[in-house]
Amino acid sequence: MRALFWAELFKLCKQRRTYYALGAILVMEIIILFSAYYQGRSFIDLLLTNFKETFYFEGNLLNGNLLVYVILNTLWFHLPLLLMIIISGLLTAEYKDGTLQTVFLQPVHKLKFIACKYLAAILFTLVSVLFLMITAFGLSYLIFGQGDLIVYLDTFNFYEPHDAFHRLIWAFFSGSVTMVFYTVVSLTMAICFKDATITWIVAAFFLIVSSLLIRIDYGDSLFGKVLYAKLGESWQYFFHFEIPWQPIIINNGLLIVYSILVMALGMLIFTKNDIS
Amino acid sequence: MKHIMYTLYFFGTFFSCTSAFAQQVDSDLLAIKERLDAIIAYQADMSLDIHADFIKMPTKYATVTYTKDQPLQFSSDDFILIPKKGLDVTMSQLFEHPFITVNRGFEKQNGKTYKVVNVIPNDDKSDYSIAKIVMDTVMTRIVSTEIHTKKEGSFTLQMTYSDKTTILPEQLEIFFEMERLRLPFNFLGKNAEIDRKKMRSQESQSGSIILMFKDYKIKYGSSVSR
Repeated sequence: MRALFWAELFKLCKQRRTYYALGAILVMEIIILFSAYYQGRSFIDLLLTNFKETFYFEGNLLNGNLLVYVILNTLWFHLPLLLMIIISGLLTAEYKDGTLQTVFLQPVHKLKFIACKYLAAILFTLVSVLFLMITAFGLSYLIFGQGDLIVYLDTFNFYEPHDAFHRLIWAFFSGSVTMVFYTVVSLTMAICFKDATITWIVAAFFLIVSSLLIRIDYGDSLFGKVLYAKLGESWQYFFHFEIPWQPIIINNGLLIVYSILVMALGMLIFTKNDIS
Repeated sequence: MKHIMYTLYFFGTFFSCTSAFAQQVDSDLLAIKERLDAIIAYQADMSLDIHADFIKMPTKYATVTYTKDQPLQFSSDDFILIPKKGLDVTMSQLFEHPFITVNRGFEKQNGKTYKVVNVIPNDDKSDYSIAKIVMDTVMTRIVSTEIHTKKEGSFTLQMTYSDKTTILPEQLEIFFEMERLRLPFNFLGKNAEIDRKKMRSQESQSGSIILMFKDYKIKYGSSVSR
């Protein structure tokens, strides 16, 4: 099992698309920072138009913490899409190249093999989010410096730099659970569809549907509380003035359960089906 | 004889005019104005607490520096929202141009009775139309004001003092109103529950800022005292 896992990690490290993904994350951040550098000031001015009539401002709101928050918003669509493409490629490439048949010519247990794929996918997802976090903080603080974070979530919330930093870190942790869910789903899709292009299209469609489901107001219904798409936005709770820990823990817990169920389903399908 | 008549007419006119002016400005308010006018500069550390449904902000700290006839200066390591109106604790803007007062009797606040006057500017240059001032005539200081400006709406100030003699407040509460919020919706978090109808129906939002001042360094003329 350990050898299989190391083999999966080796394959991940060896394939170019892994570095393309990390490079794409970096490019995404640079574009966000570049646009903030040129348009951020006018955007902040627009946001604070109402306040200008009543208040003077002292201090800078276009700072590293706001930029990390903006980068965090890529967790809605851009990062999961990127991860889903890379992770599904872990298996679809093996179907395409026929290496899967080569592997199973040896005494390799199918369940262990696919379990290792899932573990490698989860590890890669966590590394990607960590990479996003480190580069987001590094570049944002380097270019824009520290400062108070302003977020609008029903109210205008202002956080002091150290508080903002902790909330952003927690948001990345919470966001990584969501990302793991999406990558587990993409690997299960790869098991089901086998073909890379079909899997990518279905994965993109899944993300689009998810983002549409988020926008629907389900009120206090149970469906709204257990829907995966809604659970995935738990990281936003860290930007409520009083952090609601209970829903954060429940939502992330449920998302972990869903991930395990999707993983179990994928393993079941993979072990039951023929590999050809 | 003609000279005596002219002299009598001149003095008569002069005294009637001056006595009429003296009646138009409340003597207690003049005494307070005199105390406030004596301050030519001050510096103090202050904390700001915003109490408004639409703003959540931790307590902020800043240093305020006042020099007569110059805008207030603030310095802070934090991001701070400073109210545009109401920070003039010396009331220099209120008393800048000629004014008259109208006595409005007395008002009870926190079990104490205070004198109330309306201040009406005599000069078009003044940026307020009318102000209500509640005065502590025993301590010779202002307790609260309600100022109606010509262009920027009205605002209310409530002042609390640390001891019996100080002229500058330890606590200043500024009540403000803001136009209804207009937000760029692409900034909103996806789970921001925006009731757009409610937002459109809201004409204005109100709140208050509590400023706590400490370590006053007040300069009266050439002497400095705490």
